[in-house]
Amino acid sequence: MPDFAEPVERLIDQLKRLPGIGAKTAQRLAFHILRIAPEDALALADAIRDAKSNMRFCSVCNNITDADPCLYCTGPTRNRKMICVVEEPHNIMAIEKTRQYSGLYHVLGGALAPLRGIGPDQLHLKSLIERLKGGAVEEIIIATNPNAEGEATAMYLSKLIKPLGVRVTRIGVGIPVGSDLEYADEVTMMKAMEGRRDL
Amino acid sequence: MPLKESEAIVLRSFPLGEGDRLVSFLDRQSGRLRGVARGARLPKSRFGSTLELLSHIRIWYFERETRDLVRINQCELIESFLDVQSDYQAGIILALVSEVTEAILGEREVADAQFRLVLLTARGVRQHGPSPVVLAYFCLWTVRLGGWLGSLDQCSRCGRAMEHEPAYFSAGSPGLLCGQCRQEWMRAISPSARMLGRQILSGTLDRLLQENPSKISSNEISSFALDILEHHMERKLVTRKLLGTGVNE
Ligand SMILES: [Zn+2]
Ligand SMILES: [Zn+2]
Repeated sequence: MPDFAEPVERLIDQLKRLPGIGAKTAQRLAFHILRIAPEDALALADAIRDAKSNMRFCSVCNNITDADPCLYCTGPTRNRKMICVVEEPHNIMAIEKTRQYSGLYHVLGGALAPLRGIGPDQLHLKSLIERLKGGAVEEIIIATNPNAEGEATAMYLSKLIKPLGVRVTRIGVGIPVGSDLEYADEVTMMKAMEGRRDL
Repeated sequence: MPLKESEAIVLRSFPLGEGDRLVSFLDRQSGRLRGVARGARLPKSRFGSTLELLSHIRIWYFERETRDLVRINQCELIESFLDVQSDYQAGIILALVSEVTEAILGEREVADAQFRLVLLTARGVRQHGPSPVVLAYFCLWTVRLGGWLGSLDQCSRCGRAMEHEPAYFSAGSPGLLCGQCRQEWMRAISPSARMLGRQILSGTLDRLLQENPSKISSNEISSFALDILEHHMERKLVTRKLLGTGVNE
């Protein structure tokens, strides 16, 4: 296969590192970027740079935010008696879209995944336990993915939290096993929140 | 492109593209294979929970001559171990079973005995929880099936019988050595652990569990066998580091 010029090669290489992007897609995207107007291409580069330099992790809930603490942690209308625990920051959006939940969040940064070497020490568990110590939180809703890793994480969390006297619930109905929360539509997500059960 | 039907165990799966899964599975007839399950991560997926770790399934797939990956068409659950994994420590053992099996079997290497061992182990964990005995049973048998296990009671150099004395091993060579023949750096394995090793190789898992062997000997056997396995797969097991982590009830 003939090589592309070095700058093109580099662009393809960077794009290939993105999740879900294979060699062919990376090539297509790279040539698209080369074809569009310079200001459009640079706008993309600027957007990446701005996002990277202005976004950080919320020191309370580990959400990705431009202000620390994030808008959920500081929002005056949020219900401070509930914390919904999710695996990744983008899971928060799926729950917010339902408009059914107004509590706080906690992002674990993944799920227990022995095959990827992720144990309890690799997740933001200690900071969650710290947040419960004030006694203001009455319920933890665990919204990890409905797959083996998410379930194991939910069970583990409930073992950890229940001794502290906090109610622990798990989202349930509507989310089929094996799927990613990312792909659940609003109705499914809403039903899942309504159908949460005690752990 | 003929459709194949077989019995399989799901070793692991990875998210792929937009909502697909890349699945590594052990086909009872054809050995370890990898395939793509289209749409398996989407909420209305027809695969449901069939592709979870160590699921025992009936599988239908298309083989494509020009590619390594098969296309998974349909799966039916025979036995699920999803519930077992809701316990973190039990989940680590099942993950280790999967990681070891995937690493030691070559692609398309028929491995019926390993297939049965994986199922037996997973059922053992379901019944007895994250038991060190079940783990030891799996690890030692995997070494034996791989052809990497020498005699547990005879020095492989001088031939002397070793009964109530420690024996010594290096992960790279199959035989154990006695105290006189060993090298300084070799690791010891106790007589009681070797006794358990012989029990593991000569009886059923059920009978072994009834005898309730010591946790210390079980862990010694697992550690001995995992050293050998890691040597042959030329890397460290990710799951081994997690054994014993996490809070207990
Ligand atoms: Zn926050
Ligand atoms: Zn000797």
